[in-house]
Amino acid sequence: MTTHTNPSTSLDPDNTTFKFPSHYSFPPFFTLQPVHTTRTSQLHSWSRLIQSYCQHHHLWTLSLTDALPSPLFTNTHLSRSLSLRDAREIISWMTTSEAGRRAEWTSPTSSTSSTSSTSTTSGDREDQKTRCYIFWRRPEEWASVIEEWVDRTGQKGSVLTLYEIVESESTRKEEFWGMERGLLERCLRVLVKGGRAQVFGREGSEGVKFF
Amino acid sequence: MDRPRRTPGLSSLTSSRIASSQYASHGASLRSQNAQSLSTQLEVFQSLLHNFAVVHAKDIRANPAFRAEFARMCSALGVDFLASSHHRGKGKDGASGSIWAQILGSDVNDFYFNLGVLIVEECRATRAENGGLISVAEIRQRIQRGRRIGGGMEVSDDDITRAVDSLAPLGSCFSIMKIGHRSLIRSVPKELNTDQCTVLEAIQVLGYVTVSMLQINLDWERPRAYAVIQDLMSDSLVWVDTQAGENEYWSPASISGALGGPG
Repeated sequence: MTTHTNPSTSLDPDNTTFKFPSHYSFPPFFTLQPVHTTRTSQLHSWSRLIQSYCQHHHLWTLSLTDALPSPLFTNTHLSRSLSLRDAREIISWMTTSEAGRRAEWTSPTSSTSSTSSTSTTSGDREDQKTRCYIFWRRPEEWASVIEEWVDRTGQKGSVLTLYEIVESESTRKEEFWGMERGLLERCLRVLVKGGRAQVFGREGSEGVKFF
Repeated sequence: MDRPRRTPGLSSLTSSRIASSQYASHGASLRSQNAQSLSTQLEVFQSLLHNFAVVHAKDIRANPAFRAEFARMCSALGVDFLASSHHRGKGKDGASGSIWAQILGSDVNDFYFNLGVLIVEECRATRAENGGLISVAEIRQRIQRGRRIGGGMEVSDDDITRAVDSLAPLGSCFSIMKIGHRSLIRSVPKELNTDQCTVLEAIQVLGYVTVSMLQINLDWERPRAYAVIQDLMSDSLVWVDTQAGENEYWSPASISGALGGPG
């Protein structure tokens, strides 16, 4: 019933259609509910949907203005779509600990390299909140996924470039393939902090060694 | 008419007393005979039922339709098989009391209590979304989908009704209510008034309602329709959709029904 042509899935590695949950065909789902308990349940459902959608399409960040007309936030069958304000509220809720911090706002000026500061959350200005990370896995979780891969492929002790980890053919089938630089650096920082990896080299051509 | 039997004088009193006492004793013996034959019949029947259940134990356990028929037969005969496995030793030496337990391997009780626990879990999990009112059919789907160990359970609507009934002693306000032609499980203590029921019924038929639809079709004043909707909304029993011109109010029960996809 729901076959969606998706403008943002040109990067989609496997061209399978995403199966939307049943909430997606429920018109009021696209209106944030005024009653608190209902709304909380709705926010949980949206959070799950956004995460699985991003996971399916391998999206690391969402730009709200771009994503609003996409099938994620717009159901053309029902002619219902989420408003920018509601989408912002959902993402903001996802950044809270109640929602497991499954999203994080990125400042509009931050390119992938400027995420080296520990906190990339922008100021409180609403209009700045247009772009965000969606953590269908938290950086800590990604760190262990990468570590597991290093372990599995017997590359402990050898030096890898960041390019090798997320862009080379050898990791084409891994879940973290194509990860944004900024996010990758954060994951590696987790490993460095835990004493399980070391990053060296100049910015732009860093190498990383796993222990 | 019955002049020959009527004896004049005082003796008639004693003779009538004798007659009535004889009637009584004869009646009593008839009654006891009756009771005896009935109890024999019952024993025969119980053993037959026992045999039947032993032979078909697997079907009873595995096939929900069969189980429902069996349960219906039992209840028609006044055999409460939820209770009968409970009153152990009710029979001569405990044998007849727990036949159900013997037959079904694990207690039938356990089956329904387990199912009851699953139902409580599902009701609680979805309460914020649907205000504690969930259709029996949806519960069944959710249980059959079963993300838990052991996978989905094959259950029928009848099983679910029975399981909900078996929760009654807990006094936990779990009950089955009917709106329109659908059975719903209510897991909140709140009673719905007639207006609210009417609106929910209308939503069930039409898919959604608006305030003006209620005004026109039910001949309600606007404030009345509005108040009922607000009440339902504050209990999470309806969700509002503001993108359709006039606000539409939908029942969250149709979330699962609309597409029916798993997940």
